[in-house]
Amino acid sequence: MRLSRRTLLAAGLTAPLAACSTPQRRGAGGPVEITFWSALRGSQQVVDAFNSSQNRIRVVFQQIPSGGQGGYAKLSNAARAGNAPDIATIEYPQVPGYAIDGVARDITDLVTDRLKQKLLPQALKLTTFDDRVFSVPLDVEPMVLHYRADLFQAGGFEVPTTWDEFAGLARTVRSRFPDKRLTLFPTDGGTQFACHAWQAGAQWFDTSGGKWRVSLTDGPTQKIAAYWQGLIDEDLVFRNAGDSKQHDAQIGQDRVITRLSGAWDAGAQMRARPAQKGKWRIAPVPVWDEQVVGTHGGSTFAVTKDSREPEAAMEFIEWQCTHPDALTARLKSGTSSQYPVAPALVEAGAKAFPGEYYGGQDIYRLFQQEADKIRDGWVWGPRMTATLKVMQDGFAKAGAGAGTLIEAAREAQSGTMPDLLALGLSTEEGTR
Amino acid sequence: MKGKLACAVLMAPFFLLLVTVFLIPTGTAVWLSFFAADQPGLGFGPESTVFVGLRSYGAVLSDPTFLGSLLTVVLYCLLYIPLMVAGALTLALLLDSGVAKLRSWAQMSLYLPHAVPGIIAALIWLYLYTPGLSPIIDLFAKADVQISFLGIDTVLPSIVNIALWSNLGYNMVIFYAALQAVPREVLEASVVDGAGPVKQALRIKAPLVRGAIVTVGIFTLIWALQLFTEPVLLSQSTPMISARFSPSMYIYDAAFTRNNYGLAAAASVVLLAFTVALSYGVTRWTNRKAA
Repeated sequence: MRLSRRTLLAAGLTAPLAACSTPQRRGAGGPVEITFWSALRGSQQVVDAFNSSQNRIRVVFQQIPSGGQGGYAKLSNAARAGNAPDIATIEYPQVPGYAIDGVARDITDLVTDRLKQKLLPQALKLTTFDDRVFSVPLDVEPMVLHYRADLFQAGGFEVPTTWDEFAGLARTVRSRFPDKRLTLFPTDGGTQFACHAWQAGAQWFDTSGGKWRVSLTDGPTQKIAAYWQGLIDEDLVFRNAGDSKQHDAQIGQDRVITRLSGAWDAGAQMRARPAQKGKWRIAPVPVWDEQVVGTHGGSTFAVTKDSREPEAAMEFIEWQCTHPDALTARLKSGTSSQYPVAPALVEAGAKAFPGEYYGGQDIYRLFQQEADKIRDGWVWGPRMTATLKVMQDGFAKAGAGAGTLIEAAREAQSGTMPDLLALGLSTEEGTR
Repeated sequence: MKGKLACAVLMAPFFLLLVTVFLIPTGTAVWLSFFAADQPGLGFGPESTVFVGLRSYGAVLSDPTFLGSLLTVVLYCLLYIPLMVAGALTLALLLDSGVAKLRSWAQMSLYLPHAVPGIIAALIWLYLYTPGLSPIIDLFAKADVQISFLGIDTVLPSIVNIALWSNLGYNMVIFYAALQAVPREVLEASVVDGAGPVKQALRIKAPLVRGAIVTVGIFTLIWALQLFTEPVLLSQSTPMISARFSPSMYIYDAAFTRNNYGLAAAASVVLLAFTVALSYGVTRWTNRKAA
């Protein structure tokens, strides 16, 4: 969390208010009113576009804080009080948790074949459990390599295509520019580590046997942990929180020259650092042996248990996820670069995305090529926020030189199993 | 008859509050720890509330993060309680001995931090501890000394420091009041026997306020085991305080981040039992020594 005098006060004073929520309003006789909560940028524009496109359904939008900043707590509290919005925005890792808690409604019967055909199947799989669909994915975010083209050129570096090349380049960068590093290992980046593990073929959670099989330290994860531990031990990467003033400074002062993150981050970067316009380009993420990638980020829409208008809610969700006008409205806000789950929208995305920041590079074409490489079969766990938080606690210690990354993964597993046990789930534990 | 009625009326508010803010919540926690809304298998089916016996307790006690939080709070107590008792007693003895000038001023300025609510105190110290905001860290940096108040080894002492700042004055007042009750003739007798002020403080006064020391020790112990506000606020500035740093934080995290009310309830009951057992143990131990 970024800290200033003001947020410091705000944190203390507003926390108790987060539980309050607006009651749902219903239209009488007029259009059906549904409520929609999201932290996604550009949502207001999308809602406005939808409301003016027809007059049967009126969406009342409320911008809420992002999940980790209190958005998820707000949703859970509202659901517990019985006044959750009709539609909630839930990121992929949290979908199974909200499905198990009964907040996200089983919408299998509301998802038409027409809608299904429009969506990337590997994305829909991530929101389907036990053959039941619990939310509709909006965007799918293959990890890509954002790099400073100007600094690469000045140093005569080549864009790495494999992780071996990436490590080699990390050494070169450090020896040529002692104050710079190739990249950051974010100690608050549980989802980034998960993405690396996903790419390498890890299977942290597996539901195929009718129970939750948890193995956060399987072979591929050990490989990933050893790889990044090596880069940390050799002092080839920065190791601090990604969401921090420190990292802002590292990027702003040209000290970090690549960022590993989802396609969405292109838009976030654009908004956060307009001064670096034209300096960044995007390349495929380095690979191991196979040409596969993992995803980093991405959101889905769930109809909650409290919704009294699930059909209307579903209609808005379908429009949001598959209509070109929805994507255009979002991208025109200039703060988003989401990669749509509906392949038919890529064209609209490429057209609507303001390309100057990336020197005119057709980043949507690249995202499309990378999205096709997403490794099949990944499953998120039932208490992912907590699991990743325990892992990040370990990362922070490892970054400070106490403990290792694989120990952090092990602690995350041992801190997750009691949770699942207390929830009454059938579980099985892989080797630690 | 009239006396009984007056008695009932006067005591009613106490029992009303005891029931509504203590017995009912405790009973709810115990109930929550034995029942859960379960779905079989993967957990995506319909829920039904069932009796789960000791399952939630098994989960809590097999959770290394919960046991780790207990260890943290025990370390905190070992660091905090001796410093608090010794510090408050020393200050009270100094004030009582008349060495201190401007006694009432000293008393007030030491007591004042206790009037600051815990959350505000934590915010003040968070400001002083956070690199980039803190004038203290800046000052040390100018002298080429790098200090981190929120590092992996310094974060616990930093929390102890906040607690000391908040509570030292309050406990000092308790000790000072107890010292007023020490019979003057005993003190005069010790002077006649040749005791200096230091010897008098350690040999005569301190043993005579033993009861106050035990009381303060137990109250401080119970308060310390519930460690919550300070680490929660500091955790915004340092990753070295995890969401499950202390047992109370573990309970909060289990209920509101993990939506695992059974686990949270079981952990609360375990913490309650731990606190009761520890307080009882301390009382027994000190009583036996007194006998």
